[in-house]
Amino acid sequence: MSLAADQAALLRALLADGPAPSGFSADRLRIEADVLRRKHSRLIAYLRPDLEESLGDRFFPLFAEFTAATPKTSDVRAREYADSFATWLISRGDLPRPRRRLFRRGP
Amino acid sequence: MAELGIGIGWRQELDLSIARLPGVDWVEVVAENLHASHLPETLVALRSRGMPVLPHAVSLSLGSAEPLDTARVEHLAEITRALDAPLASDHVCFVRAGGLDSGHLMPLPRTREALDVLVANVRLAMSIIGTEFALENIAALLEWPDAELTEEQFLTELTERTGCLLIIDVANLYANARNIGTDPVAFLDGIPWERLAYVHMAGGVERGGVYHDTHAHPVLPEVLDLLTELRRRTDPPGVLLERDDDYPPDSELAAELASLRAAVTL
Repeated sequence: MSLAADQAALLRALLADGPAPSGFSADRLRIEADVLRRKHSRLIAYLRPDLEESLGDRFFPLFAEFTAATPKTSDVRAREYADSFATWLISRGDLPRPRRRLFRRGP
Repeated sequence: MAELGIGIGWRQELDLSIARLPGVDWVEVVAENLHASHLPETLVALRSRGMPVLPHAVSLSLGSAEPLDTARVEHLAEITRALDAPLASDHVCFVRAGGLDSGHLMPLPRTREALDVLVANVRLAMSIIGTEFALENIAALLEWPDAELTEEQFLTELTERTGCLLIIDVANLYANARNIGTDPVAFLDGIPWERLAYVHMAGGVERGGVYHDTHAHPVLPEVLDLLTELRRRTDPPGVLLERDDDYPPDSELAAELASLRAAVTL
């Protein structure tokens, strides 16, 4: 396999529940995946503090579920991704449907 | 100690602290958090006092085996010019691959193939940025199989082939010693110190048998000991404290900065 394919396979394993690439410790892959999701969740909480406020302790497990199923791609901006998490939460009934505007935009 | 001195990573949450903390000679800023046309006022104030403000990028993904995203490099170049900085930097890592974005600094395989990719991307980035450029060693939780080079060999060859400088993150060295078995003494013995731009220091914590480089905890005594060990080999041009979360009172930050200064002052 080429380096590009190896790098892509590693990120799929960590971010998108892809198969574990050979030669890596399964334990460390799991720890790294958790580190990446937690770091990402802090960024999302920073960009959309309303989501963490509404969800409380459910924020991280729900974000982990969302991001494993729909990992962030390179062409999506962080704020767009945070907004798509909000849309997903609303579609599942984990957040109430907003009365007026779907998204609050920062400055 | 010459040139930069003791610095701290500028963060919006720390901007008022930094303005009044004693013993801050310079700051480093995360380039992706800035827009050249509207720099934060507190940062502009530091620049107008003559304090060096050096941009540090986290998203160039210079180790990716995919075409370099030159728009990100252009942005770093723009920030570097806006800050009138003599040096910009990023990490020895990849961030994106196969259309996915890890949002983090991922380790590279220490192979000839990966080094060739990194060298080509660093050369291109340097041609766009036009100032001195430095690359930092990262903290890895994962180790790629089939390494052909040690980390110090990888970094040495990178500097030889590109002319780049190095940021040596001592906390990352500690993390790698703990987590992937890097020999810290062999690492320190193998680094080309004449290529050192400056040193990073940060705190972390152990959880479940793994050391996490959190930048949200105090600097461990073991990491300070490694800085002392580094100082036996070179007089670093600068030492920078990175604190990114769980910000402590100013007095604690001042004490950490003082302990860094003590470790490199003979």
